[in-house]
Amino acid sequence: MQVVVAEDLFLLRDGLTRLLAAHGFQIAAAVDTAPGLLRALLEHRPDVAVVDVRMPPGFADDGLQAALEARRQVPGLPVLLLSQYVEQLYARELLADQTGGVGYLLKDRVFNDDQFVDAIRTVAGGGTVLDPEVVTKLVGRRSRSGPIARLSGREREVLELMAEGRSNAAIAQQLFVTEKAVSKHTTSIFAKLGLAACQDNNRRVLAVLAYLNS
Amino acid sequence: MVVMWMFMILVWRMLGKVLRRLGRRALAVPAAAMGAAVFGLNVWTAATVLLALLLAVLLALVLAGWRRAGTSGLLPVTMLGAGICGLWAAASMARSWTAAGFSVWNAFTMRIRGPIPMKGAGLPGAANLRAALQAATGRLSPIAVRGRFAGFTWPSARLVTGHIARPVVRPQVVILGPNLWWGRLLILGALLLLAVGLWLSPRAVGDLRALITRAAPLLRRWTREGNWGILLVPVTSFGLTIFGVRPWTVAAIAAATVIAIRWPRLAADLVPLMLVVFAVYGFMLVSRWVPGPNALAMPQPTWFGAIPVDSSQTSLLAGVEASALLAFGAWLFPRTIGAHARARAATGHEAELAGRVQRLTETRGYALDAAAAELRRIERDLHDGAQTRLVALGMNLRALERMLPASPEAARALAAEAMETSARALSDLRQLVRGIYPPVLADRGLSHAVRALALDTALPVELDVDLPGRLTAPVESACYFAVAETLANAVKHSGARRVHVRIEHADGLLRIEVADDGVGGADPARGSGLRGVERRLGTFDGILAVSSPPGGPTMIAMEVPCRLLSPKTSSCSGTG
Repeated sequence: MQVVVAEDLFLLRDGLTRLLAAHGFQIAAAVDTAPGLLRALLEHRPDVAVVDVRMPPGFADDGLQAALEARRQVPGLPVLLLSQYVEQLYARELLADQTGGVGYLLKDRVFNDDQFVDAIRTVAGGGTVLDPEVVTKLVGRRSRSGPIARLSGREREVLELMAEGRSNAAIAQQLFVTEKAVSKHTTSIFAKLGLAACQDNNRRVLAVLAYLNS
Repeated sequence: MVVMWMFMILVWRMLGKVLRRLGRRALAVPAAAMGAAVFGLNVWTAATVLLALLLAVLLALVLAGWRRAGTSGLLPVTMLGAGICGLWAAASMARSWTAAGFSVWNAFTMRIRGPIPMKGAGLPGAANLRAALQAATGRLSPIAVRGRFAGFTWPSARLVTGHIARPVVRPQVVILGPNLWWGRLLILGALLLLAVGLWLSPRAVGDLRALITRAAPLLRRWTREGNWGILLVPVTSFGLTIFGVRPWTVAAIAAATVIAIRWPRLAADLVPLMLVVFAVYGFMLVSRWVPGPNALAMPQPTWFGAIPVDSSQTSLLAGVEASALLAFGAWLFPRTIGAHARARAATGHEAELAGRVQRLTETRGYALDAAAAELRRIERDLHDGAQTRLVALGMNLRALERMLPASPEAARALAAEAMETSARALSDLRQLVRGIYPPVLADRGLSHAVRALALDTALPVELDVDLPGRLTAPVESACYFAVAETLANAVKHSGARRVHVRIEHADGLLRIEVADDGVGGADPARGSGLRGVERRLGTFDGILAVSSPPGGPTMIAMEVPCRLLSPKTSSCSGTG
């Protein structure tokens, strides 16, 4: 699996490439600026990109902007963003094109390399991975409007885990229920959110987006 | 005859003695008296004659009492003035300047022919004198003919001017022969005064200059102290010369006196205004004479400043007088009204500056306090949070190193714990960074940061942000934390169902409104949160207004004067 790594701090970039290489990824390019990232993405068309949000030259959200630009030019190009902080605002922007294949994680998540690599694979497969911190904030919102309000407590829990990019199997494991039960919940969620039966991955993305926008 | 000569010599000697004693000052008394008398004759009102005489005596006394330079300096001026007045009296009825010259000459030589019938048995002494003077000065009066003195009417000047060839003296006009000499004496005296005045004037120039030099500081101090209000009384009295002694003119003078004493500044401001009004009135009078001489069509003279405006000459004089009034008014204007306006503006400006200094001092104090408190908080957070966790992490790793060969299982648990600790340390740092300067604010500015804030708020937040560019980092930060604080308050205290945040920038002013539909009762005086926001905004001259009646709704408005940076330069903040 081809990966482009974009991170301006050498230690982290080096660590990431090693970690990814150790898990069988091929490093197509490792860049340290936003324009470099955009060039590498358009040139290599990798299976997935792992991108730091804050990068030169602006040291603002340059990495995010470059990733969004690349996805505008190559729709659905899988991108996993890493950051020292997570913002729902950025998560929404990433999900806004509804094509999936995006991830948004705190850099801390690299510690748990298994989960991290899982997340990369989910993103590469067109799934959506949001950091638990983003999801936690969503849970913290008291009042809700729209279809999300109609979800049961259990369904909401399933949706939260879905937003974190867990597969049905992983969700079942987490909630100590059978995978079939989870599958039933997800079908119910999709129905309540008015998501017609189409590609499962895309429905998951739309469900998460609806959750974010609630 | 001899006695008379001796008497005259005696008088001359005495006069010489007095003159030697008093110097040329002594001449001031007769000169001034004479000028005033002549002037008074011209005006020809008993009251003004008396007034003029009184003034003349006063002037003479003042001049005589003046030490050294003053008298000799002012003397020729007085004499010239009196001489001119005398000649003017003689010429006043002339219709042109050449004619004026003739009339003086005619008056002197009495080349007015015609019958001089005496009607009645002669006149009383005073009336005789008056009639003689009138005759001498060209004012041939029909008074004697009519046998009464009250009904004085202005005669035709043709009697004496420009019509010598034609004896136009009407039969009924009386010229009192013997008293002609008084008239001649008057004109002679006037000429004499002029001559002496001219003769003295070169010597007087130096004296006058000295006088001015001496008086200048006094005058300057006087004017600087803004004592012009005192002029209101004489200036108002000027109205007497136009409107005469009437109840309302007298009342106006009384009022002017009261104003000048009680409100000197107001009086000073009124002086130039009144001068201008009088000048305009004067010009209006003069304008009636501009088209051409039409004196006979105007039976009654209109008075203006002791001048009967009844001919082009007198109107010219009135015009000069009006111009002088106007010039004086214009000269006074910046010294009275202008000076007061300037002073008022200056005091207003000063008060404003003083207020500004006080406010800056206060807000600087708050800013320094806030910065110090912030640094203390960061230090404490780092010390208790990330620093402590890193110490724990180091100890764990050390223990892990020792444990690894002996018990790999325990080491694994320890490694998990170390990982947990490092994650917590990172989380702490993240919180800290958010508190110092939210990354999204650094990345994208206030509008996005507030949007992110709204997303993280547990209440539905409606946003209405119109902010085309970015603001300076300190303002952005202050405004962000202001919104964060008010939103937090809304969540914690208001019980609101929704919050509305409006941000707009117009005319160099950033306006933020945070409104909720909660229970109200927010008071900046009580909670420290809003007070802190107010102080923080105050550093940028910003203000905070709270409207939160019990029962709600709550509306918090903040305004910060600031300029919008161009979007181009907006993303240059933050560090790697």
